This record gives sequence, C-alpha cells and structure tokens, in this order.
Amino acid sequence: MNLNTLRALYLLILWDLNKMLRRAVFVAMRVIWFVIQVTVFGLALTAMVRLRGSLPVDVNYYEFYLLGIYTSMLFSISVSRAYDIAEEFEEGIVEYHLSLPISRRVFAVGRTIGGGIASFLFTLPMFAVVLWLLEDVNVEAVIISLSSALLFAMSITGFVLSIVLSLKSGDATDIMFGVLDSLLIRLSTVFYPAVVLSRYAPYLYVALVNPISHIADFLRTLFLFEEYRAIAIASPIAMASYILGLAVGFSSLAMYIVEKKVEGGGWR
Amino acid sequence: MGYLSAAWTVASRDISRFWKYRFWLAGQLAMNLADVFIFALVFNNIVNKAYIPDYLKFMTPGVAAIATFAAAFSIGREVGVEIRREVTQYLLSLPMSRSAFVFGRILGGALRGMIYQVSFLVLAALIVNVPTTTKALYIALTTVMLTFSMSSLAIAISTSTKDFNLQATLRALTYYILFFLSNVFYPKEVLAMRFPPQILQIVINTPVSLASDIYRWGFGYYENVDAVSKILLLLIWSLTLTTLASLAYLRNLTKQ
Repeated sequence: MNLNTLRALYLLILWDLNKMLRRAVFVAMRVIWFVIQVTVFGLALTAMVRLRGSLPVDVNYYEFYLLGIYTSMLFSISVSRAYDIAEEFEEGIVEYHLSLPISRRVFAVGRTIGGGIASFLFTLPMFAVVLWLLEDVNVEAVIISLSSALLFAMSITGFVLSIVLSLKSGDATDIMFGVLDSLLIRLSTVFYPAVVLSRYAPYLYVALVNPISHIADFLRTLFLFEEYRAIAIASPIAMASYILGLAVGFSSLAMYIVEKKVEGGGWR
Repeated sequence: MGYLSAAWTVASRDISRFWKYRFWLAGQLAMNLADVFIFALVFNNIVNKAYIPDYLKFMTPGVAAIATFAAAFSIGREVGVEIRREVTQYLLSLPMSRSAFVFGRILGGALRGMIYQVSFLVLAALIVNVPTTTKALYIALTTVMLTFSMSSLAIAISTSTKDFNLQATLRALTYYILFFLSNVFYPKEVLAMRFPPQILQIVINTPVSLASDIYRWGFGYYENVDAVSKILLLLIWSLTLTTLASLAYLRNLTKQ
C-alpha cells in the first residue's frame, strides 16, 4: 500500500465524515428518536415484562433492552447509508467517484470504512446515554464495545454498498432496506433473549445467524453480567469472531461488486 | 372541471398508481405482519399476564391502526419524489384549482390507506373477534378519519424537504413517534405506572391511540370504551391535520 493509496483512502473517509457533519438536523432527529425509545417505549415495555420464570438467570429487562436498542439503532443508521449512496447515484456523484484516479478496490474499502466510521460516530451520543443509564461500567468493556460497534457498522456499510450498487434503483433500495431493517430487528435478540425465541424454531434459526443478535448479545455479556453468558446466543469469543468475520466478508463483497460489476449509468 | 370531479381525477390516478408499488406494498405488509406474527407472538411469552392476558390479541387491532400509516404514507413517498424531481411544475400546470389538486392527493392517500388496512381488519376479526354491525360501523368511521389524518401528515412531511435521506428520516421519525407515543404496544394501565398523568393524557389521546382503542372495542378485546367521545376526538384530529397539511402542501408545491 503506497502513500497515494493511503491518501485516496483518507479522502474517501473524509467524504463520508463531511457528509455526516452537514447533517446536524438528521443527527438531532435520530437522537430524539432514540431518547423516545429508551424513555417511553423502554420503560413501558419493562413495566409489562415479566422475565422471572421464563429465564434460567435473573435479568433486568431495562438494561437488556438498552443495549439491544442501541444495537438496532447502530444497524438502522448503518443501513441508512443506502439512502445516501442512492442519492449520490441519482446525482451522478457515483459516476464522478468511479472516474477518479483511484482503484475500484480502494474506492470500495474507503467508502466502507468511511461510512462505517460516520455511522459509528453518529451513534456515539446514544451510546453515551446507554452508558449513563447503565451507571456502573468498566473502561475495558467500553473500549471493546466501541471497537466491536465500529467493526459492525463497517460490515453493514460494506453490505449496503454492495447491494445498492447492484440494485441501481432508488425505489428498490428504499423498499429492500426498509423491510430488511424491520424484519432483522424483530428476528433478533434486540427485544427478547434467545431462550424466549427458541419456542419458535424458525425464528431462532434466523436469530442465530442474524448479525444484530451477535452484536447485541456480545455487548450484553460485556456490560451486564457473567450470568448472561448462559443465555446469550453464543459464547463471547464466537460472537466476537462472527463480528470480525462479518466485517472482512462484507468489505470483500463490496470490493468484488465495485471492482467487477459496477459501471456508470443505468440508474432507475 | 368541477372541484370534486377534479379531486376525484387526481385521487383515482393515485389509486391506480398504488398497484405499481406492489413490491413496496409487499414489503410494508411483511413489516406489519412481522409486528403481529413475530414481535407480538414472541413477546406474549414474557408479558405479565396480569396486565395483558393475550398480547397477540391486544396487538393485532393496534397494528391495524398503525397499518394505515404505511399505505397512506406511500402517497407521501410519491409526492416527495415529485418535489425532488420537480414534477410539481407539471402538476401545477394541470387545468384544475390547486385546492382541488391538494384535496385529491389527500383523498388518494386516504383511499390507499383504507384499501391496505382491510386485510389487517380481517386479520383482527380472525384473531380477536368478529364485530357486530354497529361496531363495524364505528370501525369503518375510525378507518376513514385515521387514513385522512395519516395521508395529510405524510404529504405535509414528505414535501417539506427535497433531501431524500431527510425525507426518509422524517417519515421514520413520524412513524416511531406515532407508534411509540400510542397505546399500540402497551395498555393504559402500564403507561399510568411509568408516566406522569400529563404524558399519559397525551399518549392516550393521539389519533393512533384513539383508533386502537376503538378497534379493540370494536373487535371485542375491550368491553367498556367510550367510543362516541373517542370518535369525536378523532374527528377533531382529522379535520385539524387535514387543514394544516393542505396549507403546508400548497406552500411546499410552489416553494422554489
């Protein structure tokens, strides 16, 4: 990797970060949305949930919910890169990017990392709210969770980039990611532990391979309690490996799509 | 062209275009069904039965209420695209008054909401109970008012900006505010335990909450609901939202 490549990567990351900085209203709205979710929705759900008897370990549902909802927010914001890329395509910016003297591979990696960092930074205020509500947290857990959240955001951005550039349709992008967002969040451990999902075998199988379940349960094992490991979707090492594998896999997919499949024009 | 005839022309065009979005509709249907057959079904296992004996039966009429949002908001999505691609210049040149055009769009969105919601009302009848004739009339009236409110809201929101991402975010934000600040997910008793009376009053008097309560009563989940006052309150909401949204859409149509 030479200096020019690094500079190209830096500029592509900067592109995504600058886009995010220009969206102060957008950030503020998402934060409001999150605050409603952890106050109104989270507190009301906690009031009507009774986990005792359903689980082999004692779990505080509100704490369980906080980390789940943060994960779903990180996923949704990473997925919303799809709308940004779709808009760039409509405005001809993707064609402009493809014509730059940057290799396609660097372009794919740069956009994946840039989009991932932007999504991750976007959710930092929400993560701070979660930490504040959790009260007693250790620094090691914070560092590991931030790193895994960044990796997760990058992997989802890589996936989104691959799909949007393959679909080449604003409408299809809007529909596909709307559905994917809602289905994957419900078929994960965001709202209910895997033990509860296990009563419905097809739902459990989806949750077992669902990246949202892995990141949510990984954060829970970091912050909440040793006992949670007994009901998490997998062991902490397996979940961490899954998140890492996902980032490598989806970045490679983005590189393949951008390098081999994407041409300018043809946007519907 | 008369006022109503012009409005109907616009509305019928919007209805015929509704089927063009069959994949989008399928996606929305999947989302709403996921709330019933995934979220409610799984959550039923961890809900305190003292508050909600059957969460699936509780949620289904609520989802029928929120389903109107999805379809009525499809009109919002469309007018948003028109504003972005400046198709509005062509629409404004049509031989009809602007107010007839605006009313036609709102009517089109409301009719889309009604068509889409029918399947969820049937689902509620299957899961909860079949309503009596009088209650079915209340359900129908509620649907009309709710879909007009949602359609108006969608049009006003989606035309307030040309930014695609911001349009999508505003739509999602409105959806979550309407959804979470309502009794779709939780009954009044649970809300009363957690929130001050003022917030409780706001939540139970939003259009979606009012409609959910009427539907739950209509389908026989609740026995005692003051349906008449709830219908009247919903009427006030509907008239207010339709008037304000019409003015906002008119302004956004001509804004450069």
